[in-house]
Amino acid sequence: MQQPSESSASVEPSAAWTAEADALVSLRDVYKTFPSGRQTVRAVDGVSLDVLQGETLGLVGESGCGKSTLGRVVTQLQPASAGSIFFEGEDLAALHGESLRQMRRRVQMIFQDPYGSLNPRMTVGNIIGEPLANFGLAKGKERDAQVQEVMRICGLNPNFNNRYPHEFSGGQRQRIGIARSLILRPSFIVADEPISALDVSIQAQIINLLEQLQDDFNLTYLFIAHDLSVVRHLSDRVAVMYLGVIVEVADSLELYDNPLHPYTTALLQSIPVPDPAIERDRRPIILRGEIPSPINPPSACRFHTRCPIAEPICSEVRPELIDYGNGHLAACHFAGKLQGSLAQKVAEQSTEELRVAIIGDADGTGSNGSDPDST
Amino acid sequence: MASLLEVKGLKTQFFVRGGRVRAVDGIDFRVNRGETVGIVGESGSGKSMTALSILRLVPEPGKIVEGSITFDGRDVLAFNDDELRKFRGNDVAMIFQDPMSSLNPVLKVGFQIEEAMKAHDRFTKEQAKERVPGLLSRVRIPDPKRRADEFPHQFSGGMRQRVMIAMGLSNEPGLLIADEPTTALDVTVQAQILEQLRDLNRELGTAIVLITHNMAVVASICTWVVVMYAGRVVEQGPTEAIFAAPQHPYTWSLLRSIPRIDEKLGSKLLTIKGLPPDLTNLPPGCKFHPRCLFAVDRCLTEEPELVTVGPGHESRCWVQMKNVKDPDADLRETPLVADEEAADAAAV
Amino acid sequence: MSTITTGLNMGGPMAPPGTPEEVDYSVAPEQVSLWQDAWRRFRRNKLSMAGIVVFGLIALIAIVSIFWTPYSLFQQGLGDITDPFSRAHPFGLDASGRDELSFLMRGAQVALEVGLLTAVTTSVVGIAAGLLAGFFRGWVDTLISGITYIGYGIPNLLIAFLILFITNRPSIVNVIVALSVTSWMDMARLVRGQTLALREREFVEAARATGTKDFKIMTRHVLPNALGPIIVQATFLIPQAILFEAFLSYLGFGLPNPDPSWGAMVSSGLGDRFLAYHTIMVPALALLITLMAINFIGDGLRDALDPRQAK
Repeated sequence: MQQPSESSASVEPSAAWTAEADALVSLRDVYKTFPSGRQTVRAVDGVSLDVLQGETLGLVGESGCGKSTLGRVVTQLQPASAGSIFFEGEDLAALHGESLRQMRRRVQMIFQDPYGSLNPRMTVGNIIGEPLANFGLAKGKERDAQVQEVMRICGLNPNFNNRYPHEFSGGQRQRIGIARSLILRPSFIVADEPISALDVSIQAQIINLLEQLQDDFNLTYLFIAHDLSVVRHLSDRVAVMYLGVIVEVADSLELYDNPLHPYTTALLQSIPVPDPAIERDRRPIILRGEIPSPINPPSACRFHTRCPIAEPICSEVRPELIDYGNGHLAACHFAGKLQGSLAQKVAEQSTEELRVAIIGDADGTGSNGSDPDST
Repeated sequence: MASLLEVKGLKTQFFVRGGRVRAVDGIDFRVNRGETVGIVGESGSGKSMTALSILRLVPEPGKIVEGSITFDGRDVLAFNDDELRKFRGNDVAMIFQDPMSSLNPVLKVGFQIEEAMKAHDRFTKEQAKERVPGLLSRVRIPDPKRRADEFPHQFSGGMRQRVMIAMGLSNEPGLLIADEPTTALDVTVQAQILEQLRDLNRELGTAIVLITHNMAVVASICTWVVVMYAGRVVEQGPTEAIFAAPQHPYTWSLLRSIPRIDEKLGSKLLTIKGLPPDLTNLPPGCKFHPRCLFAVDRCLTEEPELVTVGPGHESRCWVQMKNVKDPDADLRETPLVADEEAADAAAV
Repeated sequence: MSTITTGLNMGGPMAPPGTPEEVDYSVAPEQVSLWQDAWRRFRRNKLSMAGIVVFGLIALIAIVSIFWTPYSLFQQGLGDITDPFSRAHPFGLDASGRDELSFLMRGAQVALEVGLLTAVTTSVVGIAAGLLAGFFRGWVDTLISGITYIGYGIPNLLIAFLILFITNRPSIVNVIVALSVTSWMDMARLVRGQTLALREREFVEAARATGTKDFKIMTRHVLPNALGPIIVQATFLIPQAILFEAFLSYLGFGLPNPDPSWGAMVSSGLGDRFLAYHTIMVPALALLITLMAINFIGDGLRDALDPRQAK
């Protein structure tokens, strides 16, 4: 497949991406673009990533980063514009038609919207059992038995298999969606924001369910979410995405203790904690400007327009994902620089700027029109 | 010191075909001048309906059936139409979760902010127009003069929310009610909005009522917390007390069921079993008891009153967490498998 | 995005205290299905219910007329056209002395047969075309949409004449064919629109993700969720067809003599309108009542199936 032109992209994957023996899923230089009028949205802009057998890889990012699109490309619900998606050695991007459909027995997806992801005109039993029928795996009583079994496993009353989705609550509907994705006994599940639409007190139920299922069925998860606290809780490793590219990958603990990419630092420092004593002293790094549009992303490093430590090289040379030891990858020319006291200083500075903008006006001195924000 | 807003015994109900939905069922709280109060709850808690009741914006078929709302010594429920108009947007302003639906998509942003001011005769048309760029720069919108001439769809989600804040503050209200202002926003944008709210509160002295389901956000900027469940206040008090020693099992369970960015890895989340309350079909006794890990017999039949458990700190519970010996050791998790053997095994 | 909620939780009642917690019983024991909910709403609409009653009567008459009419349609010279309504002939006689009542009854049968069969064939063709166009898009859509637009361009009457002329054998089947060929486009456009919208829904995506084949997605996921508007449009196809058929019959392109179609009755009665107005009034009224009844039913269905149903 043709790769969109990119300044320093070579056809060889970069050094960090030697084939992992136990990688269940390997993405190599995946691109996904959408036409938008006469322009192109670069939703996924060159992603290479490994998901190891049996792990939960979390994928976080904010709006417009392309994580949901990436999830759909991995499951081939959307075809990739370029690149390869290796699953158990096979390139999914090269599959079509029936062979692609057969692959769905091993790669499944859990969707975000518990209300929209279930057909309102089908009974819950039929929704969950449809995959079995699709592949001719079980019929009639045998099928009902399997459906009820998986319902029980997911914490649903198996006697309600002839009810309709609207009779269930949000959390229960999400369990139905999970049951549906589980019934084919896949090896890999992509979960796209599975708990964002649920009440807080229900989220823990689903989180624990997903963990339990992973243990019981030896599942590998790609867990996509915007809530870093949840992702960190569930994941073994976490990948951070910004505007179509992966900026950092690390073990959960390592990411929090030692963020190498300035965006990760800013992200981590923005997250509030349910502890007023900590909150009193926490200073978030207020990033300047807004998230740029994926139609016209910044050149080279996507983050340089908002980065508090950006230098000229950042707008000229695209940083590659480099391994800084122990599988901790970061794509930054100054990885590890924005930490500790510098991070604290930057945070205080940015919150002070914000404060001045407010009181500046309360004093009647007014804003002088010039602003530090550049987009 | 007289409080700015005082809500006593508020009951708001909806009259639907199935019966009566008691969305807010007798709540008391107050907001002092310059204070930031957080109202925490999930679906069915009544938190949003409380905010709407304060502004008398309860939609049909709902009605405020009982209670009193006093703002700056004035009886809000007794306002006639004229006084109500002067009250809304002027004394008390409100911002909502989804800024796109609160802003008129066919009117320029600057014009909408002007309108908010013109509605209250505090500023002349010229003054209002002049104030707009200042208000926009106050919420950190760059190039405010140019952006005032743009339409809502030309702003990002975070910026629109800031426009809403600017609009809310344009008449310098004593109280700003923010209903889930950051729920739909990215976390970095949320940090910005929260910082802004915090600074506005500090510098301008505007009191804030922040309605949210996110305990961490509450810990971030609120000095007082009101926890609501099934239309009632189940716990309230100073922020430090609520987080350090929550007395109501709901608050306690909630804090243990949310993942924290700084938690030890491998820690288990407590699951609160069951579902959020069905307001058309509430259980007898304490409304939380079907989901409570510490319920005793009395909880099934008698609904508890609010009891003082610390300075300013109240909780509506027969048990109170301080009387539970070693609650963390007794964590009985909800079994995931729907059969009795698993339940027994998990309880051991 | 939260809207102003009343806190109503559709998930069902709370657990009765004391019951074991493992089983997720929190689904109400009795909930209405979406169809029952629609039926309830329909029942409340008095006009629509009246429409159903009237339609039922007409259908009854139509069925009875297959087996029995007071007089055979071939019987002529039973009396004078100017004899007004009498016991023997409640609706009088026509110019040839045939019993109006018998013709009326048979007319009902023709009307309903044509109306219902046309609605069915039109719907089948229209649904198939719309599903294919909306689901596959691309050249399939261009082709089908192209044909629909061409169909709109050519006047219905012309097409009908052409078909009836070519086949040269007036019969109910030909009339139905002629009517269907001119009316499937509306249904196709409707279904295409519905399909385009539904295929983007998450549950369709989920069906694909679990390996569901295209045909099954169209029939099991898209079509059932588009049924509301489809049923409403199909209902309105009936009076449309009946009226068109009446018009064709009026012009003489209907069934062979004796043509009991109400349109034919009006046509033949036109010459005697000053002498005996009942020969026009009676079939015209019959048409009016039937069409109104079905239209009321359609209106009621449209309101009842309105997708503001409980989630």
